[in-house]
Formats: sequence, C-alpha cells, structure tokens
Amino acid sequence: MINPVSASDHDRMRAVARGDLASMNAIYENRHRPLFRFFFRLTGRQAMAEDLVHEVFVRMIRYRHTYQIETASAGTFEAWMYRIARNALADSARRHRLETTAAEGELESIESTRPTPFDAAAKRQDLALLYRALRQLPEDKREVLVLARFQNLAYDEIGRILGCESGTVKGRVFRAMKELSAIYSDLSKEKTA
Amino acid sequence: MTCPHARELMAAYWQRELTVEDTAVLRRHLETCPECSAEMTALGGLWERLADLPAPEPSHTLDARWRQTIGILTSAQPARRIWWPRSPVWGVALAAACLVIGVIAGMNVPRQNPEIAKLREEISSTREMVALSLLEQQSATERLRGVSYSGRLDNMEPDVLTALTRAVAHDPSVNVRLAAIDALTKASGRPEVLQSLTQSLPAQESPMVQAAVIDYLVEARDHQAVTALRQLAAQPDLNPAVLDRARFAVSQLSR
Repeated sequence: MINPVSASDHDRMRAVARGDLASMNAIYENRHRPLFRFFFRLTGRQAMAEDLVHEVFVRMIRYRHTYQIETASAGTFEAWMYRIARNALADSARRHRLETTAAEGELESIESTRPTPFDAAAKRQDLALLYRALRQLPEDKREVLVLARFQNLAYDEIGRILGCESGTVKGRVFRAMKELSAIYSDLSKEKTA
Repeated sequence: MTCPHARELMAAYWQRELTVEDTAVLRRHLETCPECSAEMTALGGLWERLADLPAPEPSHTLDARWRQTIGILTSAQPARRIWWPRSPVWGVALAAACLVIGVIAGMNVPRQNPEIAKLREEISSTREMVALSLLEQQSATERLRGVSYSGRLDNMEPDVLTALTRAVAHDPSVNVRLAAIDALTKASGRPEVLQSLTQSLPAQESPMVQAAVIDYLVEARDHQAVTALRQLAAQPDLNPAVLDRARFAVSQLSR
C-alpha cells in the first residue's frame, strides 16, 4: 500500500538525490511529526526524540546518493526512511548507554519531577496505566506495535522495514498485544491493591 | 484453521487489512474456539484504546535546528551547471560568439577603477578572515557559520582549505565535519584536499562522515585513495552501509 504522500516524497527524494537539497524542506514538513512520535514512543524522552529526528534528516541528505539503489531493491520511501530511523536509534542507544551509566538515576528523577504535556494529558484521561504498560513492553515488541498502531503502516511495509514477511509481523503484533495486556492487567491490580 | 493462523488474522483484522473472505473464516474459528474468542475481545478492545493515547508534539526548537542545518547545507552547495549545447559544433560556435561579444563589450566599457578592484580584494580578504575566525570558535553553531562563510568564498585560499580539512579531520561535531566536506566540494580537484581527506578516513568514527568522505573521493575520481579505501573496508567493526560504500568506491576508482 503506497499512500500519496509517500509517492510524492519519493519524487522529492529523487530530486534531492540529483542535488536539489531544497526539496528536503517539503519532506521535513511531511515527515518530522510522525518521526518524532515514533522516537518519542520508543524512548520516552522529548529532547532525545528531537535529536534523533534531526539526525534522520541529516542522514537522508548524507545518504541521498544511495536512495534509488536501495528503494529499487527494498521498497518505498517510507521503508527507506524508517530503516534510517532505526539505525539512528540503535547508534544513539549505544552511545547513550555509555554516556548515561553513571547518570541514570539523575535522568529518572528529572523525568519524574518534570512531566511532559504528554504525561499530563495521559494521566488526566486515566490512560497513564496504558502508557506505563507500553513503556514496560520489551523494546522489540514496543517497536513493532508503534509501527503498526501509531505510525499506521501496513504490515507488508513494516515487513520491508524490519526485513521479514508480513505474516511474521502479524504474529509479532499479536504477541506484543498479548504481553501489553498482561502488563496492563498487572499494573491495574497494583493500583487497586 | 489453527489458532496461530487465527492470531495472524486477528492482527490483520485490527489493522483493517483483512479481506471479507478471511474475516468470515476468522468468525467461524472464533465461534468454535473459546480461547481465541476471549483473546479477540480483550486484545481488540485494548487495540482500540491505544488510539486514545495523546499524540506527542515536537517543540519549535526542532524546526529552528532544521532551518539552520538546511540553510547551511544549501548555501554550501556548488552552483548549478549552466546550460550548454550538447553538440560540439554548436558548442564551438556558441563559444566563438561569446568571445566576439566579450571583446566588443570589453573595448567599449571603461576600464575598471583600480580603487574598486582593491576594495573588492579587501572585502574578499575580510570574508576570509571572518570565516577563519568563526572556524576557531568554541560553539559548534559558530563553527557551522564559519563553514557556511567559507563555502561562499569565490576563491578558497590555502589557509581556508587547511581550516576546512582540519575541521573534517578533528572537529568534535559531526555536523561541522559534514558541512565542511560539502563546502570543500568547490575544491574537489585540489590534490592537498584529496590527500588530507583520505588521510582522515582511518580516524573517522561517525559512519555518516565516513560515507561522506568516500562519496567525495568517488566524485573527485581520486584513484590514489583506493589503498586507503581498501584498508577501511577491511576494518572488522565497520558499519555495513559504509562497507558497501567503500566497496562501491573501490570498484569505481579501480577502473
């Protein structure tokens, strides 16, 4: 399934690959919010999510020459962009583990004392438990769920991003939902106890 | 139908990707399997509730950073090629016509005031000083501005080239390194630039910078870089994307 935005961003990215860097502005306008939400839901950190979005667009420009070669063999603009996003996240996670080992406690305390607007809204609607359950889901399960439920990507598209069949993606989504349900149920019991 | 297959169909149903035929197949299975039926109800409800989680929004800082980055990168781009006929005959004819027009125009235009020429030289020199000064700043943003200034200079003097190649090799910010590589596009034929970039390759840790240097060397058709590129490709922990680029570069430059 290729949506019209994806098709036009494909044309724009081809223009960028030919040297028209200004076309990147329209791609940024179309994509920076979904990308931010993807990173925020995986990291839970505003600043880190914004850094990663910036990094993805810089990488898209950097790797612009590879665009046509890669999309010819492995799908759409969407799949290409999310593969770059996943690599950027993996690189950042490696660096972050090294940098934050000593300061982990401090980061946690900052998060708990300065809730983001997102946290506040979620608590108001009693969705905080669901949000916490999502945060507690193992990374790989959270990622496939975020791609399917929040990024609204079709399963065959997610398969191209993760490098597997769409049937495998459906199985993973089901298992992620099952585990999310179990965590959510445990958190609900803790709250009422 | 088996339960594992039914679970795949459930996931497709939640995502609204299930065909009418498969929906009927799934319904029939749910009527006969209480376990799958219970999962469909509980997990389907949770799937719908996930849509109620608010969508987080990026701050305005992100837009500002992007505008700055794209501004620097576009201003550092080399000018587009001017139109020129493909046929050599027309090319020679057009060149001859331009020459005649130029000679006639030159004979009729008063000679340039030497003071204006000197002033232009001084302005160019001042721009160069500003660029060099900015490249020495502590702040990465200021150094990016310095790179941007350098990219706008009509003629890059050796000290500007040295400052840019030094930035590619040693600047702590990846963005400054990348912008410096783009700014150096104007000087891609200079042997000292190619040599410096090639020498910087083994010490580059960022895959993005590695890929950018490789692309630069390929675009400049620097055949002398093949040995360094082969050594880079032999590094055991090299990023797979960079490895592909390095191999591609070796194949291109070995021809």
